[in-house]
Amino acid sequence: MFLLAVVAIAFFTLPLIGLLWRVPWSELGEVLTRDTVRQALWLSLRTSLAATTLSIVFGVPLAWLLARVEFRGRSVVRAVSTLSMVLPPVVAGVALFASFGRRGLFGQYLDEWFGIGLPFTTAGVVVAQTFVAMPFLVLTVEAAIRQFDHRVEDAARTLGASRWYVFSRVTLPGIRPALVAGAVLAWARALGEFGATITFAGNFPGTTRTMPLATYLALETDPGEAIVIALVLIAVSLVVLVGLRDRWLGGTRVAP
Amino acid sequence: MSLRADVDVRVGDLHLRLDLDVADGEVLAVLGPNGAGKTTLLRALAGLVPLDAGHITVDDLVLDEPGRGLFVPPERRPIGVVFQQYLLFEHLSALDNVAFGLRARGVRKSEARSAADRHLAAVGLAERGDARPAQLSGGQAQRVALARALATDPRLLLLDEPLAALDVATRRQVRRDLRHHLDGFDGVRVLVTHDPVDAYALADRVAIVDGGAIVQSGTIAEITAHPRSRYVAELVGTNLIVGELGASGLVTPDGVEIAVVADFAGPAFAIVRPQSITLARRAADTSARNTFHGVVDDIDRIGDRVRVGVAGPLHLTAEITVAALESLALRPGDEIAASLKATDIETYPA
Repeated sequence: MFLLAVVAIAFFTLPLIGLLWRVPWSELGEVLTRDTVRQALWLSLRTSLAATTLSIVFGVPLAWLLARVEFRGRSVVRAVSTLSMVLPPVVAGVALFASFGRRGLFGQYLDEWFGIGLPFTTAGVVVAQTFVAMPFLVLTVEAAIRQFDHRVEDAARTLGASRWYVFSRVTLPGIRPALVAGAVLAWARALGEFGATITFAGNFPGTTRTMPLATYLALETDPGEAIVIALVLIAVSLVVLVGLRDRWLGGTRVAP
Repeated sequence: MSLRADVDVRVGDLHLRLDLDVADGEVLAVLGPNGAGKTTLLRALAGLVPLDAGHITVDDLVLDEPGRGLFVPPERRPIGVVFQQYLLFEHLSALDNVAFGLRARGVRKSEARSAADRHLAAVGLAERGDARPAQLSGGQAQRVALARALATDPRLLLLDEPLAALDVATRRQVRRDLRHHLDGFDGVRVLVTHDPVDAYALADRVAIVDGGAIVQSGTIAEITAHPRSRYVAELVGTNLIVGELGASGLVTPDGVEIAVVADFAGPAFAIVRPQSITLARRAADTSARNTFHGVVDDIDRIGDRVRVGVAGPLHLTAEITVAALESLALRPGDEIAASLKATDIETYPA
């Protein structure tokens, strides 16, 4: 039992050690300031934050709907809107391409009526990231709303609060830890998004080549650069994970 | 101000059907066992559960009348509710909890806070405004909940088991304070409780609810003197016998005859105070006209008195002293004779 656990720990630790071993520490500064790397970093930061924002704006209402409103087909809606979590990202990208591509079922009208083309643009990256990241936020927030005592919301209504006021002033503050956790999970997922992005948005430096894409590409031409970018991604993920653990272990109450 | 309600609502297995009429300045206690429909009644009055039929009217304002398609949602009703467990907003200070209703109505923050300050002071918590609900004692949380409910100046105040969440030690003090605060509110007050002591201490009139319907209502004195159901008799701690008065005395549906003194005939209730029942190991020659043989099924000590349940042709509860219990050496399962004097049985028409 103990031995097997040690094997598991080693399995997760060894790749980190291997990566650190290969980091070209002397070139670190130079690689990080390279135009291609800075471009990818900056693009990843912008798109992942945009995807997180979109996930919150649309995901929180969706979570509320799934948790608090009973309607026919609710479980179907939940399944469909969280499907991309278990879908291979490449499949998600193909699905996006088929529907929102320039010749896609809906994409052709976006192009024709509004002149909007999503594929091979930065907006397309954001769409792909949002598509795979939002379910993490929706599931986390939905569970928290479900657990939140609805009688507290009832109490707020008897005090004269409209549904929106109750939601924004009572429910949201009550589930804040879960909202933060869900947003961070969604952000981490968006930051690491590869398959759907490269399938739907392509791989153009400056517009759609995010850090994961740049890492993959660099591995063939300049492994040192790939390892440096990977190191940055790992550092970011570790910071997020440690931050989340503190929130989760710290209980539900968050200091104002 | 007055509340008139004809409530007809189904929630799950419960079908609540009852009429309420609460006058200006009156405190009505709705008393009943758990699951009787008390909380559902409050939720219907608050607008959290819409009626299936009937109506709810406060003064001339119709709050709910499905027959005419009228329904005022909870946030637009002139109500204040003190919930069981109080349900304070954990992320807000006591002061902001009290100010919440005014803020929700669009009152400016500074104005709402100074009004909330006054309401907190009125319940003796002026210094606790900055405290979070988790830092308040049970009694303080209850007073914050009361101040929060009163801050919006409601015409109808609803209280759901306001004392149930408190421990026995603080209960008496909080009960007295609550009575005082309720007296200071001039609207209609409806209080729901399963504890007769709370109902007696806080209300002018009691409606007893069981199985979704009112089984009896009246002043506390009326209900104590003339209970009209087993449940109510048990609540007020007396024995109730239901039967038909005729030439051979009171006859129960099981055919048990009881000698009574009565000046009317027909369906009747009879009450026997537990203190006036005599217990004996062997039926003796006494002046008591009624003696029933039965088996002791329950012995319950209350202070220096003991309540003994006797299962026989009638189920009777006798109250004797501890000394009497010891000299009779009673144990559950023992055979026993219970004697009642005809003059100790009070009868009244059913």
